[in-house]
Amino acid sequence: MSSRTLNPQTGRRGYGKARLAFISTATAAALLLTGCTTVNAPAGGSNAAAGGGGTDYLPDEAIKKIVNGREIKVGFAPPILSEFYTQVEKAAHNKMKEYEDRFGVKWKWERQGALNDAHSGTETLGIVQGYIAREFDAVFVCSAANAATMQTLYKQGSEKGIDFYQFNSTEELANPSQAEDPTGGLSTVANIGYDDRWQSGYLAGKYIAEQLKGEGSIIQIMGPSGSDWTKLRQQGFKKAIAEHPGLKIVGEADGGYVRDKGLTAAQDLLTKFPDVKAIYGENEDMALGASQAIDARGLKHWDGTSGIITIGADGLVSGMEAIKAGKLTATVDVNSAEMGSRMIESLFAHEFLNQEISQFIRIPTGVVDKSNAEWHEGVLKNVLAGPGKY
Amino acid sequence: METTSSQKNQTIVDRVVTRLLVDPTLGVLALLVLICLLAAFTLPVFLNGSNLYNLVNNSLVVMILAMGMTVVLVSGGIDLSIGTTMALCAGVTAAAMNFGLPLFAALLAALAMGALVGLGNGLLITRLGLPDFIATLAMLGFASGVLYIWTKGVPIIGYMVPEFYIVGGLTPLAGPLTLPMVIALLVALVLGGILGFTRLGTHFFAVGSSKTGAMQSGVRVERVRMQAYIVSGLAAAVAGIIMAGRNTNVPADLGNGYEIQAIAAAVIGGAALSGGRGRILGAILGAITLAAAVNLINLVGVPSSYQKIVIGGILVAAVLANRISAVVSGKVRQRKAMVLEGIPA
Amino acid sequence: MNFPRAASRALSTSGVPIAIALVLVVVIFQIISPVFLTPGSVRDYINNAIPILLLTVGVAIVIVAGGIDLSVGTVAGLSAGTTMWALVSGAPTWTAVLVGVATGLVFGLFNGLMITVFGINDFIVTLATLNIAGGLLIVLTEQVPLQGVTTPGFSDLVYGNFLGVPTGFWIAAVIFALMQFFLIRTVFGRRIFAIGIAPGAANVAGVNVNRVRLGTFVLSGLLAGAAGVLLASRLGAVQAFLGNGYEFIAIAGAVLGGVSLAGGRGSVWAAVAGGLMLATLQQGLRLNGVDPVYFSIVTGLCIVAGVVFDRRIQQLALGSFRKRAKGGPTPPAPVKLQETHLLGTGKQD
Repeated sequence: MSSRTLNPQTGRRGYGKARLAFISTATAAALLLTGCTTVNAPAGGSNAAAGGGGTDYLPDEAIKKIVNGREIKVGFAPPILSEFYTQVEKAAHNKMKEYEDRFGVKWKWERQGALNDAHSGTETLGIVQGYIAREFDAVFVCSAANAATMQTLYKQGSEKGIDFYQFNSTEELANPSQAEDPTGGLSTVANIGYDDRWQSGYLAGKYIAEQLKGEGSIIQIMGPSGSDWTKLRQQGFKKAIAEHPGLKIVGEADGGYVRDKGLTAAQDLLTKFPDVKAIYGENEDMALGASQAIDARGLKHWDGTSGIITIGADGLVSGMEAIKAGKLTATVDVNSAEMGSRMIESLFAHEFLNQEISQFIRIPTGVVDKSNAEWHEGVLKNVLAGPGKY
Repeated sequence: METTSSQKNQTIVDRVVTRLLVDPTLGVLALLVLICLLAAFTLPVFLNGSNLYNLVNNSLVVMILAMGMTVVLVSGGIDLSIGTTMALCAGVTAAAMNFGLPLFAALLAALAMGALVGLGNGLLITRLGLPDFIATLAMLGFASGVLYIWTKGVPIIGYMVPEFYIVGGLTPLAGPLTLPMVIALLVALVLGGILGFTRLGTHFFAVGSSKTGAMQSGVRVERVRMQAYIVSGLAAAVAGIIMAGRNTNVPADLGNGYEIQAIAAAVIGGAALSGGRGRILGAILGAITLAAAVNLINLVGVPSSYQKIVIGGILVAAVLANRISAVVSGKVRQRKAMVLEGIPA
Repeated sequence: MNFPRAASRALSTSGVPIAIALVLVVVIFQIISPVFLTPGSVRDYINNAIPILLLTVGVAIVIVAGGIDLSVGTVAGLSAGTTMWALVSGAPTWTAVLVGVATGLVFGLFNGLMITVFGINDFIVTLATLNIAGGLLIVLTEQVPLQGVTTPGFSDLVYGNFLGVPTGFWIAAVIFALMQFFLIRTVFGRRIFAIGIAPGAANVAGVNVNRVRLGTFVLSGLLAGAAGVLLASRLGAVQAFLGNGYEFIAIAGAVLGGVSLAGGRGSVWAAVAGGLMLATLQQGLRLNGVDPVYFSIVTGLCIVAGVVFDRRIQQLALGSFRKRAKGGPTPPAPVKLQETHLLGTGKQD
């Protein structure tokens, strides 16, 4: 198995299952071996792959010389503080620790997460402007603000020499193209994330279809309407359902991305449609709320052949535990662990090794159910127990 | 009393009818009945027993908050921190459970935290002389900041012992009855009793109607106001305990927006923001009205983008209904007074 | 006139303490992090603050009249949306500006009419319009992509340059000056204070209380509309939830500036100073790398400290003033301390 199957320059989508398994197992087993080839085989990439000899540590020494103990100031601006973004940040920290040990990078990391502004993103604007004023070297941003607004800001910042990386964002909404423009019309160095349509919403729909063998009625609990994430996941989910004429979305309600509202909404819809076969919660919290609604009505959870399927999306430790306990059927793990370490890999490749990296870096995502929950939970727990602390 | 028995009978009936008409909760009751009727005709599933049961069950947290809020409103204050306090108390219970304390100790810890926040609000208002709105807004910011720093934005989990499912109403207590229902009933009886039948209750109304007047008649205004905030803090703690059980985790933003829902429920139920007016029954009906609105939106399948508009519209309708009922009751009262004047004693 | 007396007179003027505190805070932040007063930083954070400052002034006017307006935040968001909508549909800049301001006006009128004609409590009416305006913006953003506008002149509303200062600053300054003049120098403005201090007495004195109250909500709506236009111009795009939560920042800023929630006390420039104080604190903390989770705590403490400081310093100044007045022939100044501990979320019901 070679880690060179992944080329971050071109790799957008279509990772095989083996690939996904490899990446995440590697993350779980040893952070040193995570997927990206840039560091193990820098400059040209024709060297022996990392997995090859095990004696070839020369590149490390060479990189150390390039890094030369330089300090880099990095800003991290998530749209809200939550379990998910904590996992992303911790995974990034672990990667940073690794690079500090191997290459002598000195990190200065600063998190400023918006508090009351998860949906409109104007608070993030101010935070990013603050980073620009203080001339940070690189800034990771995930914002609910309109893409056009953010791009203007990135452009201003880039002119002052600051590099911007978006993560977990909805850049696919504007549908940028690299056909003519080398930067895809964006002022970011890279966008590290996944496609909300096809790597999250669509997967959930496909899973339901597979489990139900294409027959049955579904209700869905959505995020706040007006949110870009909601818009995209809806698009993917509805496409997957439309591919199966036997499947029908009979009802939908707003769960505001919170558990309590998800519970209420699921209860209401279950009253009206008592014979639904599946509930799609657009994030894990709402899916868990739906799961509680099933318990409260004395209905049966999905056991592989009968009951009601509940599926969410996020990939949180709490979600994995619910899956193992049989309370949640499945979830789409959007791979916070991989996201965090890929953010740092991309940053390192660009800032220190002067490599050109793809504008659109897509991390592998996948559906987690009882069959593989243990593995995913292990990955997350390893990340959270990791040595990185900045 | 020199009235004949027939006259007496008439007076009693008359009194009951007048009492009903004059009742400040009449407006919201009428609105609720109207909503239910409309819903029943267009959407038979609404009157489904299990739907009504869910509806009431889902309204309990806001209901308890609204009852606490009503006490504060009656005494002429407002508590914007009630939602965040709820979240903080939920966090305290959860953390205490995780710490290994027994269930009752964890619940006591939450109640203590609620009382403490209430006391803090009361001190800010009476000792430092801050306006209620500002003091409790500052407390909202303070409590939510504490919760965020404490949890680092990661929800508190791992405290859900089986008893907690009962506390949160996810597992019924006996038959269809859930513990939150019993708790809400108890809170209603206690707070209703205080407002209606104790000296403290009279003082709440007196202070809310006119602080100067209350002070001049010997009421210790500052103490009474402090007590009102402690009541709302305790109500927030009770709601927080239920919420911790219902939500099965405690995220830092658990209480966001609940203060507004509590105020809306109390005001829909006839409480006046200018103080001196409000009823516990009104708060209960107000909370149910709000829950019914959300329930209907979900059942009818109103596109979720229209939800906020519908809720705004219902708020307007509710206060208009209140207003109309107040005008009607005012007319009735006037007529009654004229009739009384006409009859020689 | 000797110095202590002048100082105490100045300090007892509403808005002076907060202005002094603001200057102090700026100086402190500048010492801690020299990047604070660089032109880019100042331009950005004040540009960000201006829409909220406009809301602060609108809310302050309503509060001075003894009312409260919770709808300003989402109304500003919706106005930004309708402005963008007009531009997307191909309207020239001035039409779009009119559309945005008119949106604010409609909501101000609706609030005012509901409150005065039906006699409904302002807190609950504006809470309802908060939801309605926020909901309408969601619907609007779903129907029309509110971005990608290149109408000439529109982004110049904020980012243009006049005499070396961004045009947004000028627009805000002119509006603030107009509002201050209106509040202090016109009959209508004085009546706003009158109905805030004692609506009953104002009524007896022949003031049409309802009309004045309606006027304050219309003004607040207009300012929210203007704030929306500037928001749209600054952001270049509008999305759902814009403006959510601004109402509380605006109210906190106004109160920090010494506007009394009991009504009857406050001034436009003091409210602006209060709002600027909040924005400055936020910017200062940001530039020092403080995690925003601490911001809500700091804001809470500052509001408490600010209001207490404001009251104490006035009492102190007033005390020394009275002492002097007793000794000399000068009559005591007619400074009236409002009872700020009375709840002021609306007098009528």
